[in-house]
This record gives sequence, structure tokens and C-alpha cells, in this order.
Amino acid sequence: MNLTKLVWLEFKYHKSQLITGLLAITLGVAVIVGIRSVSVVSEKAVAINLDNLGANILVLPQGANVDNYYTADIDAPTFPEAYVEIVATSALQGVDNMSPKLTRRITVRGQKLALTGILPKNELASKPLWQKSGLFGAGAKASCAPGAATDNGAYKDEKLLRKSIDAIEEDECILGSSAAQRLQLKENDTITLEGGGFKVAKVLTETGTIDDDRIFAHLHTVQRLLGIKEQVSAIEIMGCCNAITDGLLSKLRNLLPDTKITTIGQIVATQVQTNKLMNKVSLVFLVIILFVGGVSIGNFMWANVNERRKEIGMLRMIGFSKGVIYRLLLAKALILGIMGGALGYIIGTGAAMWLGPQFAQLAVQPLPQLLPAALAIAAVVALLGSAIPAYLAGKIDPFINMQEE
Amino acid sequence: MSTILTISDLTKKYRHADGDIYALNKVSFAVDKGDFVTITGSSGSGKTTLLLCLAGLIQSSGGTVQFQDFTITSASDSQLSHFRKSKVGFVMQSFALIPYLTAAENVMLPLAQAPMSGRQKQTAADEILRLVGLENRKNHLPKELSAGQRQRVAIARALINKPELILADEPTGNLDPTLSTDILDLLSTINKTQNLTILMVTHSPMAAAYGNRKIHLKDGEVVA
Ligand SMILES: Nc1ncnc2c1ncn2[C@@H]1O[C@H](COP(=O)(O)OP(=O)(O)OP(=O)(O)O)[C@@H](O)[C@H]1O
Ligand SMILES: [Mg+2]
Repeated sequence: MNLTKLVWLEFKYHKSQLITGLLAITLGVAVIVGIRSVSVVSEKAVAINLDNLGANILVLPQGANVDNYYTADIDAPTFPEAYVEIVATSALQGVDNMSPKLTRRITVRGQKLALTGILPKNELASKPLWQKSGLFGAGAKASCAPGAATDNGAYKDEKLLRKSIDAIEEDECILGSSAAQRLQLKENDTITLEGGGFKVAKVLTETGTIDDDRIFAHLHTVQRLLGIKEQVSAIEIMGCCNAITDGLLSKLRNLLPDTKITTIGQIVATQVQTNKLMNKVSLVFLVIILFVGGVSIGNFMWANVNERRKEIGMLRMIGFSKGVIYRLLLAKALILGIMGGALGYIIGTGAAMWLGPQFAQLAVQPLPQLLPAALAIAAVVALLGSAIPAYLAGKIDPFINMQEE
Repeated sequence: MSTILTISDLTKKYRHADGDIYALNKVSFAVDKGDFVTITGSSGSGKTTLLLCLAGLIQSSGGTVQFQDFTITSASDSQLSHFRKSKVGFVMQSFALIPYLTAAENVMLPLAQAPMSGRQKQTAADEILRLVGLENRKNHLPKELSAGQRQRVAIARALINKPELILADEPTGNLDPTLSTDILDLLSTINKTQNLTILMVTHSPMAAAYGNRKIHLKDGEVVA
């Protein structure tokens, strides 16, 4: 029998009450860890997207926002594929390349994934304007687009691989690495998507972007299967930087008045802003939650102290000093805090991993580096919240057992 | 016989809106080592207050209490904690056992901070539990024990730190007559075999008969 054992036995004895003591702090830590896990991934995704997109202008439907482009909701607006033709035949200066896309979220074998229809190089390149130009030729040196340089970074090579998908048959699909993993598919397997049979032509290596959760197929097949004939949800355009500053955007806007034309720079800025907002929100959350968590643990400890008044009085009577009483209670608070922190970390990480792919098309990985922080924060909050109850416990009269009933 | 406890002019005054109450009024007596002192008196006569002052659990308003060469009435809080931990054992009407600890664990409680190994503490507890006749109940929780057995555990807890003084406030107050006799016999045995000084507050004349010294209080004063 020593002080540690005493704390532990008491803790076990009252374990049925734990849920009330732990609830607030656990949920608090869970929310913070969840938000943090998602925003870390989405920050990374922004950085890689910028580099990886290979295009620098996006043509989106008028009503669409950038989120639609990323999340590809079922009712996301579309516009006619014919717009590609309009731009192509307009002889607009500075358009190096175009890539129309139709993206929808679909459920395959219980997995939520994005299905993106693309036009392969050979079909686009057959259009006269593209024949001699741009990305599809000798590497990606054609333009000043971000990330278009051919350095040796691994995922850039992969990006080029994807960008230069030479040919994709109407019954073929290409899987992002995570999509392949989740569907347990490898090259040459077959799969049914939205009622159409596909052969897996290729599995892309991991890029760390939302593309990992994508299935690429031929644009026209996707249009047919989804019943969205001759419509696309975006056109990615590779424009020359000089041309952009020379007013390429406004020329495109004149050409396609009922679309929304933005540059990747703007998109990234918006995304960065969203992330900043997320961080601010999580900071506010942090403060509120820590306060609520601390008060809730303090309240729990106060109830515990009150229930144990006679016990504490007896300990004081047989010679336990106030300091020892403080230690007994703060040790209990510490156990509570660490348990709450650990549980919160697990729940928050689990929630982020589960919800991330469903709502943000982000594959969230556990962030072990958040665990020590979660434990430390929860422990400190628990200790602070328990300070007053511990102090009051020290004031319990040692002779309470002799005077009270 | 050596004097272990000297109480001189001990006064405890409670301030109250209806007028001050002298719970103890110039109480003086001395206790020799090995005495079994019984303290009687009607309800409100100051018996519990006297024990609390002797243990330094409340501050007296006047007079002194001297335990050997330690002056309880002028000691600091931490000195008093140490004094209670090392010299005094308490037995109360409500046994004040901790519900989530077994008999043996409750008994070991005063040794929680002692510089002994777990095994040494266990051995000490076993020994004392044998003394109070509960060696076969050591792993029982208080709720699994009868009232008399609980009081035995409390007595064992009071003995484990090898105190020089046992302060008991109506230790048989919650027990029926037969059980009371058992407990009183036990205390008497401990008093005799270990030469342990006991001060016991009681209402019952039968219990009071166990003492070799009898103090009777009336309105906070000792009457012979
Ligand atoms: N905290 C207090 N404040 C005011 N008066 C008190 C306080 N504690 C005790 N008293 C008074 O002191 C007197 C002695 O009380 P004490 O508890 O010592 O009596 P007692 O002899 O132990 O009685 P009983 O046999 O009923 O236990 C009583 O009149 C009581 O009202
Ligand atoms: Mg009393």
C-alpha cells in the first residue's frame, strides 16, 4: 500500500463515474485533433495540387465554386463540352493546352471515390490546333505553367505520366493509388462502374493529392454512364504566363460568358484562406473546449471530493498532510487528463480518417506527432480544472468523522 | 509509572451568537504510560472536544497539552501531522474505513508513506490482523464484513504504526452489547499486553468499567 496504489484503487472503484468526467475533455481533444488532421492534409494537398495540376487556368460552370471542383458533388453544375471547340477555334493567343473533365463522386463496392472523365492525348491532339503544341509534345516545357518543368522529383514524373495519358480506350480506367488499394484492384482487373464494365489499364503511384482517390476513365464513357451527355464540369487550360498578364482571362471570359474563369493562383489563395480560417476556428475551439473541459473535470473532481469527505478527513486525521491530499487528487486528475487526451486523439483521428474521404475527398493519415500534444494539453487542463477542488479537499476538517453523523 | 500525557487548564471556547460555549473549561489531569482512561459524561459535556484537543485536531483556547516532551498546544500543523502519524492511533464510532480497500489495505493505510517495502507492510498488516482475530478476512472489503469485524479492522489500523496513544471516541457506540464486550476485551488485551495507553470516550457504564482511570466531564469541567 502506497500513495500510487491508493490513487489507482480509488480510480478503479469509481470507474463507472469516469464517463462524465472524461466526456468533455475527450470530445474537445477529438475535435481539435480531427480538425488538425484534416487541415494538415488539405494544406499539403493545396501545395501539391498547385504543383501537380499542370494547368494554370480553370474554366468552371458559372454557378460553381472551387469546392465543387475539388469535391465533385452529385449536383455540381456542368457546361457543354463544345466550349473546348469554341476556344480551340477562336485562335486565341497564349492557350497552350486544354483538358476537359467531368468529375462525379460515385460509390463503388461501398467506397466513395471520384470518377473523372478525361480526354486522352491522342484524341485531343488530333485537333488541329494542338497538334504541334504544348504539353503533349516533348515533355512539358511548353509553357510557364507551374510545375511544368521536367525536374527529377518522383511525383512530378508521375504527374507527367498522368498528364500525358496517351490513350485510354472507352472501356478502360486508370486508378489512383489509394482508389486501387481501397477497391483491391490491380492492373488488368475488371470493374463495373455506374453500370459500365472497365478494365484497369493502369494504377498510378501515390501523389499525396486527391487524385489518389480518383478513377480516371474516358470522358465520353463517363458522360454516357452518368447520363450527362456532352457536358463537362471543368476545362483545365494551360495558358502562357505572359498571355495571362496580357488579358487572356478577360478574352476567355468574353468567349465563354456563362462560365467562371479563374487562375490556379486564385484557387490556391482561396484554399489557403480556407485553411487559415480552419486554423482560426480550431484555435477558438481549442480555447472554448479547454475551458469547458477544465470546468467539467473540475466539477467531476469536486463531486468526487464531496463524496469522499469522510475518507479524506480520516486520512488527514491519521496524519496525511494537506500536501499529500493535493497529490492524491492531482494524480487522479492527471490520470483523467491522460486518458481523455488519448481517447480524444483516437476518436479525433478515427473521425478524420473516416469523414475526410467522404466530405473532402482527402485521404487523412493519423498524425502521431499530435498525440503528445493531445496528452499534454488534456493533462494540463485536467490539472488546472482540479486545482480548486484539490485545494478545498485540503481544507476538509480532519475530525469530520468524529463530529458528523 | 512515567507520565505520558499532561493536560493543564485546557480550555476550549466556541464563539456563538447566543453566547460563548466553554466546551472545555480548565481541564487538568495527567495520564501515565499504560493507563486505560475512560472518559464519561452526558451528551455535550465536551468528551469529543477533549480528544480533538489531545490529538491537536482543533486549536485550544487556553491551557497546554504535553505529550512526553512534545507540546501539542503550540505545535505547527506539519508537526501535528507527524505526531498523529507516528504516535497516535484513532478508533471512532463510525469505523471510517475506505470502502474500496480490503481489510489489509485499510490497515496498511497509515504506512502509505512509510519507508518500507510492500512486503514489509503486508507482513505488518498480517500480524496485526491476526492480533484482532481477522487473519482470514484480510482480503475482504468493508461491505463484506460485520460491524464488529469492521471495528476490529479500524483498531488494527490504529495499531499498525505502533502508536503510544490510542484515542477512541465511543468505539462501541455502533455495536450491540455482545460485540461491544468483544471489542472492549480486545482493547483491554492490547492495553495490558503492549502497555499501550488508551483514552476512551464512552456513554456506557459497562464500557467505563474497563478503565483503570475514570474521568467524568460535566459541562466541560472534570468532576471527580
Ligand atoms: N464546532 C462547534 N461550534 C460550536 N459549538 C460546538 C462545536 N463543536 C462542539 N460544540 C459544543 O461543544 C460542546 C461539547 O461538544 P462535544 O462534541 O465535545 O460533546 P460530547 O461530550 O462529545 O457529546 P456527545 O456525547 O453527544 O458526543 C457542545 O455543547 C457542543 O454544542
Ligand atoms: Mg462526542
